[in-house]
Amino acid sequence: MTEQVEIAVVGAGPGGLCAALAAAQAGAQVALIDNNRHPGGQYYRQTAREFRGAPSSHQREGAALLQQAIAAGVRIIAETNVWGAFDDKVLALNDGAATTYLQARAIILATGAYDRPVAFPGWTLPGVMTAGAVQTLIKEQRILAGKRFLLAGTGPLQLVLAAELARAGAQVVAVLEGSRVFPRVLQHAGALWNQWERLSEGLSSWLTLARHRIPYRVGWGIVAAEGAAQVEQATIARLDGNWRPIRGSEEKIACDTIALGYGFVPFNTLSRLLGARQEWRPELGGEVPARDAQMQTSAPGVYAVGDCAGIGGAALARVEGQIAGSAAAAQVGHGTADAIPARASALARERRFQRMYAALFTPGVGLYELSQDDTILCRCEEITQAEVRHALALGADTTNEVKLITRGGMGDCQGRMCAHLIAHFIARETGRSVAQVGMLPPRPPIFPIPITALGVTR
Amino acid sequence: MSRIKDSPEFQRGAPVTIIVDGAPLPAFVGETIAGALLASGRRAWQHTRHGQPRGMFCGIGVCFDCLVTVNGASKVRACLTPVAEGMIVQTQETTP
Ligand SMILES: Cc1cc2nc3c(=O)[nH]c(=O)nc-3n(C[C@H](O)[C@H](O)[C@H](O)COP(=O)(O)OP(=O)(O)OC[C@H]3O[C@@H](n4cnc5c(N)ncnc54)[C@H](O)[C@@H]3O)c2cc1C
Ligand code: FES
Repeated sequence: MTEQVEIAVVGAGPGGLCAALAAAQAGAQVALIDNNRHPGGQYYRQTAREFRGAPSSHQREGAALLQQAIAAGVRIIAETNVWGAFDDKVLALNDGAATTYLQARAIILATGAYDRPVAFPGWTLPGVMTAGAVQTLIKEQRILAGKRFLLAGTGPLQLVLAAELARAGAQVVAVLEGSRVFPRVLQHAGALWNQWERLSEGLSSWLTLARHRIPYRVGWGIVAAEGAAQVEQATIARLDGNWRPIRGSEEKIACDTIALGYGFVPFNTLSRLLGARQEWRPELGGEVPARDAQMQTSAPGVYAVGDCAGIGGAALARVEGQIAGSAAAAQVGHGTADAIPARASALARERRFQRMYAALFTPGVGLYELSQDDTILCRCEEITQAEVRHALALGADTTNEVKLITRGGMGDCQGRMCAHLIAHFIARETGRSVAQVGMLPPRPPIFPIPITALGVTR
Repeated sequence: MSRIKDSPEFQRGAPVTIIVDGAPLPAFVGETIAGALLASGRRAWQHTRHGQPRGMFCGIGVCFDCLVTVNGASKVRACLTPVAEGMIVQTQETTP
């Protein structure tokens, strides 16, 4: 069955919520689809609704936005995956049981991002996980994923997570910051103007770290994880300016959980499926759709906002959402896209912050050189670096060719974990750029869905 | 690998029991299968084709490391799936 809607928004994080609200306020008929139990995305991640407790300020803000959207007439379709996107702006939805199709006149993609996978010896051991996984468990379920945490990564979110862990009674053995942030941050001080909320969150996390005497080691990174059945210790090292470990500086540090917070990778699968032209922009997290000032991609009527179009954080996602929501509504005949001039200064402010963030916290190439020949690059199909090297010897020189030879990237995650890792390795070995080597083309279903769900005809 | 204690400001959902590989595992409504497994101290519940243990990696449904079989349906992501009273979870399955 195919339903019609004027505007379909995919993803109910800050970007999608603001886009849906702006479009509905302009008078458009809007459906907002999200695959989580609770709309809100990552930044507004809500505590499980069966739990009782005082929500954080972020959670209150997200809940209020959701209520506003509902009041404005947005139809919320929760706990539903968008597993495919086809010509004529048709989206395939699955709620775990049945598939339905939604045809829209405009689509706004706000699918967010996921933590950047980093391959190093031992990274598949149980106990190595992403910082987002550790944080989501705390926010949503009040569960600690381990006892003794090592945080390895880059950026201020690591401080926030360390503080949350400490407050919850976990031990944090160290926070490793790969970037030599000081004193470079001073060159960007201007971008911190008007970011008081962020600064105060950063300061309060910092004070919590100090109070709990958690070491914050700047210019350090993870090199390996070791353990029999799970993580027992990590090897860490001082990094040079390109994030390459400095030989001789290694230290062992005991821990049972390693949280990797090396930034995010944009979730651009749906914009690719819809034919939007992509660009390779490492400073924005990787491959992202090109957009105009209205947040429209090269596919007419397909907009992309927030982290799925370039990592920029929740505040930028909100502004981009407002602009796209109003522009898409105007496109289908409601209102006049007046959010664009109205939000110009907020957009400029958040773009400044985004540039500072990228300048300070984009990982150096050394991060992609930690893997050894016996390190797994593709977790799903268990393809090692040596197997990828072998494929190169056979003449492959793109990520897609390596996939055909090795099966690397053919697993359930469709290469979302390994494509960056394999592409960087090929680029290094062949002397080509990551952009030339390319990412993997997605194909529906982008999430495995019950076989019965495929049988439903359009 | 523990639940943060309830406090006057915060309480979990109602207690339930799920069956994991035939044995009862206490959990609370609102938790995911992965949350309940981790809270019980279990870090790994999947084995890859090559016998490597895996558990939760991404935590948000992207990596597919955490797959379990739930009430007979295979390839269910434990990190996204909420527990329910009497739910039957099988681990250790290798994907064919
Ligand atoms: C695990 C994780 C934790 C994070 N925690 C923080 C934090 O605490 N503080 C912070 O400042 N930033 C955090 N971030 C960064 C965060 O991405 C941004 O701050 C902000 O949430 C971006 O907003 P967004 O609207 O672009 O996307 P998101 O908030 O990521 O929302 C995207 C939504 O789309 C849904 N979605 C994606 N694809 C589909 C699909 N095909 N079908 C249906 N639904 C789909 C997702 O499940 C999600 O709910 C986190 C990121 C991650 C990955
Ligand atoms: S932990 Fe990655 S999909 Fe569940």
